[in-house]
Amino acid sequence: MRWRRGATTVMLWALIAVSGVPVCAEEASPGRPTVAPTPARIVSLAPSVTETLFALGAGPRVVAVSTFCDYPPEVRSLPKIGSFVAPSVEAIIAQRPDVVIGAPSPGNHDAALALERVGIRVEAPDPEHLSAMPDVIRRIAAAAGVPDEGERLVARIEAEMETVRRRVAGLPRRRVLMAVGQDPLVAVGDTSFLGELLAEAGATNVAPPGISWPRVTLEFVVARDPEVIIDTSMGTEQQSGAAAFWQRLPSLAAVRDGHVYAFRSDRILRPGPRLPAGFEDLARLVHPEAWR
Amino acid sequence: MAVGQLTRARLLRVNGALLAALALTLVAAAAIGPVHLDWRRALDPSLASPDAVIFFRTRVPRVLMAAIVGGALAAAGAALQALLRNPLADPHLLGVSSGAALAGVCALVLRPVLLGHTLVVPAAAFAGALASMWIVVGLSRVDRRLESYTLLLVGVIYNAFAGALLMFINSVVDFYQAHNVLFWLMGSLGTTDYAVVGALALYTFIGLAMLLARARDLDCLSLGDDRAAELGVRVERARVTTFIAASLLVGAVVSVSGMIGFVGLVIPHLVRLRTGSDHRLLLPASYLAGAIFLVWADTAARTALGGTEIPVGVVTALCGAPFFVYLLRRERRRGGM
Repeated sequence: MRWRRGATTVMLWALIAVSGVPVCAEEASPGRPTVAPTPARIVSLAPSVTETLFALGAGPRVVAVSTFCDYPPEVRSLPKIGSFVAPSVEAIIAQRPDVVIGAPSPGNHDAALALERVGIRVEAPDPEHLSAMPDVIRRIAAAAGVPDEGERLVARIEAEMETVRRRVAGLPRRRVLMAVGQDPLVAVGDTSFLGELLAEAGATNVAPPGISWPRVTLEFVVARDPEVIIDTSMGTEQQSGAAAFWQRLPSLAAVRDGHVYAFRSDRILRPGPRLPAGFEDLARLVHPEAWR
Repeated sequence: MAVGQLTRARLLRVNGALLAALALTLVAAAAIGPVHLDWRRALDPSLASPDAVIFFRTRVPRVLMAAIVGGALAAAGAALQALLRNPLADPHLLGVSSGAALAGVCALVLRPVLLGHTLVVPAAAFAGALASMWIVVGLSRVDRRLESYTLLLVGVIYNAFAGALLMFINSVVDFYQAHNVLFWLMGSLGTTDYAVVGALALYTFIGLAMLLARARDLDCLSLGDDRAAELGVRVERARVTTFIAASLLVGAVVSVSGMIGFVGLVIPHLVRLRTGSDHRLLLPASYLAGAIFLVWADTAARTALGGTEIPVGVVTALCGAPFFVYLLRRERRRGGM
């Protein structure tokens, strides 16, 4: 069942739209990236990149996006060049882009190489870790020819993130489980992008450490007794019994105190301009008292 | 071993021994887990302590689920092997499981349209298993003969085809549905809901009862269709009943636990070596042995890595795949295929 395991990887992967496999062989140059002539036609391969480009004011020059791109609303009418995990090289070339900007994924690695081979410039900064965010945005801005806008956006995001961080600073950490699926039970691990956000929101992650997306044994969760459960699989029509799943575990502090939440924020899943808003949503679930 | 050697005493002895072994297995497996329990608190059914919640709401339902799923797969395998006169028949290898999964996924994706009834998905999985069995067996029959290799190859092709359709569905549905489909396909034996365990037990016992009612027919059918007809078996009717029963078993199992391979292959073989091929004994003994095997395989899956677990299908495939190769080579040497 190799295809199924492969699909697992790709999907979990697409879920966060970030990764650890760099597309480009080039090193991220330290300091300020070099600025190329302003490109007139930009193709975006990832939702977070599309959002960033629009936030940078480069939106009118975005000529095509991936099928996963859905924000801001005007991108829905743009031509699509395939999904984030499997872009079509032909469709991209047909757009005659001056630059293609994406986020690395195992599925688009070959496409990126093929584009570079035909002389199209490809940028794919890797937002695997929260700390890489400023550099990722600077590189997207440089590729789009608007480095100053990039600095401004980085400063805005940093300031907004800091506002949230300051709210929860000094509060006692809460034990939190963030689940992306119940059957099997798969959690957000501390080494993933979302796991880093959880930690910044003042949470102690109860999932086993060192794994990005651990498939957790339920009794382990019961023993670690999370005070807050954030379940991204709840609240969809497919998962009508999802809340009942947790209610059958009455010893959990989260269940006893009514701190089991459905969470389906697109914002937080994307390392882009809407991240601070998503981060605040998350922090409000971990530390609601900070906003009272 | 010929039909008719089976005495009531032997039937009771073998099944009694296996039942005792299963009971011991259930108790032992429920005692084992990544979390150390304080038994005085764990056995308090008022669920006042985490130990009790772990024991009654995670371990016990999971161990029971593993037993039911393992039993169902082994019984379905035993029946298919007799019906198809093929020692390598297994719901997983023949594509019956992937057919069930495919139909289940279609129902899952269309569920908003299908009024969202909870029984739609298991029912679709059952129908998918049944349809797949007809297709695979039908395509494998050339000149009214069912050759082992043809059957296995058609199974391989059918698996690939169903896999491709699953991939196709997953690539056209929206992002959240793709996520749901993926998790449904992975499945797991973990549940906190005794209602699910009970429903699964009910479905699989009906399937097993249907097979047991046909046990003598299966004995005759394993001698060949013509021979069975001479012995008074209504071949077509026996075949249909067995297909329906096996589909019920496989469909029910796939809709809760995803695809788990090799249990239906390995267990009936090992059991047959000891009990002979009288299905009045082979079917219940396979059910019990399959239950024991999967409970232990799942115990390994949920404890081997501490707080994280590996899919139980990985454990069964690691045990089952080498065994399959061994069987294949042995059958070839004997010229049995």
